[in-house]
Amino acid sequence: AAEVLKLAHFVPPAHIITKAVVDPLSNGLKDATNGELTIQVYPGGELGKGPVEQYVRALQGVADITWGLEGYTSSQFQKTMISELPGVVGEKPGYEMIWNAYDKYLKDEFPGTKPLALWVSEPNVFIMKDKEIRTPDDVKGLKIRVSGSAQGKVLEALGATPVQMPATEMYNALQTGLIDGIVTGSSAILDFKLNEVANSYTVGAPLGTVGFYLVMNQGRYDGLSDEFKKAVDDNSGFGLSKHAEETWNARGDDAIAAVKGDSNKTVVELSPEEAEAFGALTLPVTESIVKELGAEDVLAAMQGK
Amino acid sequence: MYAFLARWADRLINLSAVIGSAGLIFEVAVILVDVTGRLFNTPLYGAQDLSEMTMSIVVFGGMAMADKLRAHVAVDIFEEQFPAWLNRSSDVFSALAGAAIFAGIAWTVYQSSQISLMLNLATNVIGLPKAWFQWALCAFSVITSFAMLLRAFEMLARKREQHA
Amino acid sequence: MSPFAIGVAGMAILVVLLVLRVPVAFSMFLVGFGGIVAIDGANSGLSLLASETFTLSTSAELVVVPLFILMGNVAAVTGMSRRLYDAAYVIIGHLKGGLALATVIGCGGFAALSGSSVAAALTMGKVSLAEMKRFSYSPRLSTGVVAAGGTLGILIPPSTGFVIYAILTQESIGRLFLAGVLPGVLLLVVFMLMISLLCYINPAYGPAGPRTSISEKVKALADSTPILGIIALTIGGIYGGFFSPVEAAAVGAGLMIILGIITRTLDLKSLWTASKESVVTTATVMLILISAHMINPFLALSHIPQAVGDFLGGLDIPAIGVLALILLTYMVLGCFLEGFAMIVLTMPIFFPVITALGYDPIWFGVLVVLTLEMGLISPPVGVNVFIVKSVAPDVPLSDIFKGVLPFWLAMLVTLALLVAFPQISLYLPNTMIN
Ligand code: NA
Ligand code: NA
Repeated sequence: AAEVLKLAHFVPPAHIITKAVVDPLSNGLKDATNGELTIQVYPGGELGKGPVEQYVRALQGVADITWGLEGYTSSQFQKTMISELPGVVGEKPGYEMIWNAYDKYLKDEFPGTKPLALWVSEPNVFIMKDKEIRTPDDVKGLKIRVSGSAQGKVLEALGATPVQMPATEMYNALQTGLIDGIVTGSSAILDFKLNEVANSYTVGAPLGTVGFYLVMNQGRYDGLSDEFKKAVDDNSGFGLSKHAEETWNARGDDAIAAVKGDSNKTVVELSPEEAEAFGALTLPVTESIVKELGAEDVLAAMQGK
Repeated sequence: MYAFLARWADRLINLSAVIGSAGLIFEVAVILVDVTGRLFNTPLYGAQDLSEMTMSIVVFGGMAMADKLRAHVAVDIFEEQFPAWLNRSSDVFSALAGAAIFAGIAWTVYQSSQISLMLNLATNVIGLPKAWFQWALCAFSVITSFAMLLRAFEMLARKREQHA
Repeated sequence: MSPFAIGVAGMAILVVLLVLRVPVAFSMFLVGFGGIVAIDGANSGLSLLASETFTLSTSAELVVVPLFILMGNVAAVTGMSRRLYDAAYVIIGHLKGGLALATVIGCGGFAALSGSSVAAALTMGKVSLAEMKRFSYSPRLSTGVVAAGGTLGILIPPSTGFVIYAILTQESIGRLFLAGVLPGVLLLVVFMLMISLLCYINPAYGPAGPRTSISEKVKALADSTPILGIIALTIGGIYGGFFSPVEAAAVGAGLMIILGIITRTLDLKSLWTASKESVVTTATVMLILISAHMINPFLALSHIPQAVGDFLGGLDIPAIGVLALILLTYMVLGCFLEGFAMIVLTMPIFFPVITALGYDPIWFGVLVVLTLEMGLISPPVGVNVFIVKSVAPDVPLSDIFKGVLPFWLAMLVTLALLVAFPQISLYLPNTMIN
């Protein structure tokens, strides 16, 4: 019999999440089940406001599937979020590292749900207003918006003052000069229209990434017929995560290309040597966080060692 | 018995409001210290965590007092046209509905606090456990619910006296 | 029963509960919760009750609510608002409705900086209602002015409404901000004309005071310097990048407390009174906002917005008719829903219809934002009206609605002007950008 899965997120339908995850999953399920298993999307927080409670919504079954950022509830995802730290993603893509460690180390961080996709964003960049960043010295004393405590530590290591604020306030805060810049993935430049107020961008410094999850209520999954279960399995997991991360990376590249094409904006692309100067300060933060968690084995598993 | 309960309800209502008011002053202080500190590149660590979580105490601390002062906004446009019995019934219904709503909030937020414990949920920067503030919200809601229930009984009792 | 039918029934029950004087927040909780349970089961209803309650009562954006309430209360207990209105009375009190004119400008300015019409209605309500009463202004006029005045803020940047619209529709925030400026000024002018008209028709509405000399005006202005100074610091701090609009609320309240203590107009006891009153008002206002967020998922699950969108998109009528129907829908939905929730629910459906008809999306954004603000003051669920009621408990809601009605009509006139003359919205963005 036909069934509908409710998928909820908190961003507009035009957000990259639709192309990266929602459409492939939704079309895949439809094709695999002759249109019997479909997805109804509730975007923009229709099934509950804001990003913080997304995991709980899936866990409690308000929606069958939800999308969220691990960084909003970082205490829950301490090990998974190692993948976000500076220098971790690079040789291997983020989704591969996360799934390498998932069964043995990360599964405990996702109780009551079945992760359908786990991935990270394009690399974080400096999005600045009137401040050009070429060396770590350029960051000293600047007020930079960060989204979590790990990023805060990274910015403190660079000598900046980390500032917390909701994402929707970033535009005004940059415009009035409340903050000098933002560290986040470059796709945010387009998502939050930051290109209208930020005029200097620096890419290439190891500043980490942003991690995402798409999870499904475990009970809902268990209650599906075998045929539907197989359809879900075949259209999620490693493959969906890979597609998500690649789509995100492409979107990040588009954003950088867009600001590069604008003559009023500067895009600083750091050389490997210049990037290393940042790494000398940010990579030890990764080391100390991993050590503090006692999670050397998790990192090694992520790296496939 | 009723007098005893009413006296205790009153004390709890006042205590809630006192805690809520203290939270509000604390909130102002936290943000002032943060803003001033930021001018000198030393913002208050975890200021947003503190101000967000404290707000749950500010918002729910005043809930019982708001009911006691009958501050909850209602559409009074047709009050004059309605017969007395209808107005009285609606007052009793409202008090009972309020009691049920706050009991429901207390119960579901308590359930949710168990999930917070399971997921180890805490604020992002200074790691304040979410469950603490959910418990505070529960406690304030229980007091509010209890006070509304008492008020409903009081109205019913008064009605019976009038009829007697 | 289909989800759609449950949705319609739910709205009907909501109206009945409201008419029967069940408190607004309770009514919305009952209908929102009941509706979600009816469509989606008890599980969803219960967990949404928990998550919406906790999310909203710890929301970074809503921290402004208790802080601005406190600011208004401290201004009242220290006598700062009294001095402010004494000054305003000396300066323009000789005009009919002069204080109301001053208040609507104050509301607009305040909302402009805070970006929140709720915060503006709360603070200005605390500051101005008692003062206007002192000068024998009709509570109908004064509450109407405060409820309507706050709605100016969403047109004048910074405006959260435009940011949300821009992110949802991928339009430029900068262009939208510019597009809101002239309509915001126009609306202010129309409001002021309306006040003058009302006071001309019925002089008892806002009685004119005695004429005063220049030296009296200067002295009155000097007397109100402290509060004017704090207001200037707060506005300057936002535009100067020293703090965010949310933080400005705490800075304003904090400065008033400090000034009150220094000038000995505030002792611990009166601070305590102000703070306790603020907590009670916060509780009532936040409970309304939380309950409105239970209605939101209920309507999403009922698919009413989609059904309306599909219906409008399929209509074979001229473009202007579709536009009018869409705005009408916003006005009707605005009676039940909080504004931002409604943008999120409906824009994905209406926006493609509007662009397909060839309308300018920036201009449409201005129309939508203005229409949403009309919803904030329209019966039966005009959130701003309830907010004004929460700071003016002794004024019957019927009087507040009657007081608001002329301003609602003023907004309708403004909306018609904006529809007829798109240049009002588009002149600044088209000349100042590119
Ligand atoms: Na504004
Ligand atoms: Na409304």
